[in-house]
Amino acid sequence: MIGIQEQQNLFIRIAEKLPRKIEVYAIGGTAMMFLGLKDKTIDVDLVFKNVEDRKIFKETAILLGFREFSAHVVYGKRDNVPEMIVLGDVRIDLFLFKIISSYFSDSMQKRATQTHEFGSLIIRVADSSDILIMKSVTSREKDMDDIISIVKEGKINWNIVVEESKNQVSLGKESAIMNLGEKLERLTNQKIIYIPKDVLDKIWKLFNRQVKEKAKKSR
Amino acid sequence: MITKNNIFELARKLRGINTLKMIESALNVNRTRAIYIIYKLRKNGFVETKYNSDKTRIYHISPQNALGGTSYTEILNKYSPLKLMVSDVHQIYGRVPSIEETLIYTINRRTVRHIIASLALFRKVENWSDLYKRAKKENLVREVVALYDISRLVIPKLKRMPQRFKTLATPRKSDKFRYIIDGLYSIHFKKIEEKWKVYIPLNWDDLTDYRGEFT
Repeated sequence: MIGIQEQQNLFIRIAEKLPRKIEVYAIGGTAMMFLGLKDKTIDVDLVFKNVEDRKIFKETAILLGFREFSAHVVYGKRDNVPEMIVLGDVRIDLFLFKIISSYFSDSMQKRATQTHEFGSLIIRVADSSDILIMKSVTSREKDMDDIISIVKEGKINWNIVVEESKNQVSLGKESAIMNLGEKLERLTNQKIIYIPKDVLDKIWKLFNRQVKEKAKKSR
Repeated sequence: MITKNNIFELARKLRGINTLKMIESALNVNRTRAIYIIYKLRKNGFVETKYNSDKTRIYHISPQNALGGTSYTEILNKYSPLKLMVSDVHQIYGRVPSIEETLIYTINRRTVRHIIASLALFRKVENWSDLYKRAKKENLVREVVALYDISRLVIPKLKRMPQRFKTLATPRKSDKFRYIIDGLYSIHFKKIEEKWKVYIPLNWDDLTDYRGEFT
């Protein structure tokens, strides 16, 4: 686990050693900490724009005492696993634009407007609507708490959520709409959060259309 | 009992501007307890305190306060009579941005309110050569000099800009007029516009915030 202060100090330490400016996107728990939705996270999730930036970041972190760690230990034999580095109980997941079960799309990058500058390390924070989508496509129970936290904050633009889930499907993440609908409906049925009915209707309508199109193609 | 876990939740619950009375009623606690809660929240970095005109304390509570850092807008608001509220967050950690850097960032935002507020920063410029380098990098040299000339009109006892800066900024005959904000030009500052071949998006009426501010 890493708290807000430790995370800030970690970024400052890495930025001091970076040989050049690097821009990354914060997603998951890290992004939630920047948005004031969480006070600690298990891992620091960063998305890099290219392999070279990731390599430089990783080498710099290793200089500070981090060591490489096999991503398959955590994620199993799945596609798009990140490169991982650890120091004590702090783990940093270094992704490129494909993130296990979702894709950090161009529109997600454009929405990441919140900027945090640690010297040479510039971190752009993913929008809370996009974090919600990325959290909904995983199968981890702890992500449910994060979804609840994000929705309860009330800053979700549901149009973005619906449009982006459609975009994820077009990028090849076929289960994006289904997973989103299923998670949101479950939480609504349990009366933990309130999702506007028309949003859920829109999501299921999209899902039905997707099923029909797939059936047509397979014929 | 306030623990490390629920203090964060408390900060989220009380997010925003609060007074002691508001905290008392939001949490249904007495004054002593409310003071203790503020103390605990402040210890964790969630509270920023400001004072009202009648000297009552205003608490700005947010989990994001714990992130620390400075923003260009904070520096700008410190010196400008026109205070800005911006929705886009740009925090800087581990260093405090210089006035010169803030000035270039502010002009580059290219909104009328940012341009008006930026004029006050000329009072605090110490390193003109740094300002020139930054302006040149962003292709804003003529804009900086033109806005400096405007700020001389509204801010008394403004430090002189080095002649070298002005010489380097002088437009060539072949240079075209440039907009700071697309489509906006001035009715009252025509001479400055023509001198630097930069359209100024301001008129006298836009500068009322500066009236009597620095005298």
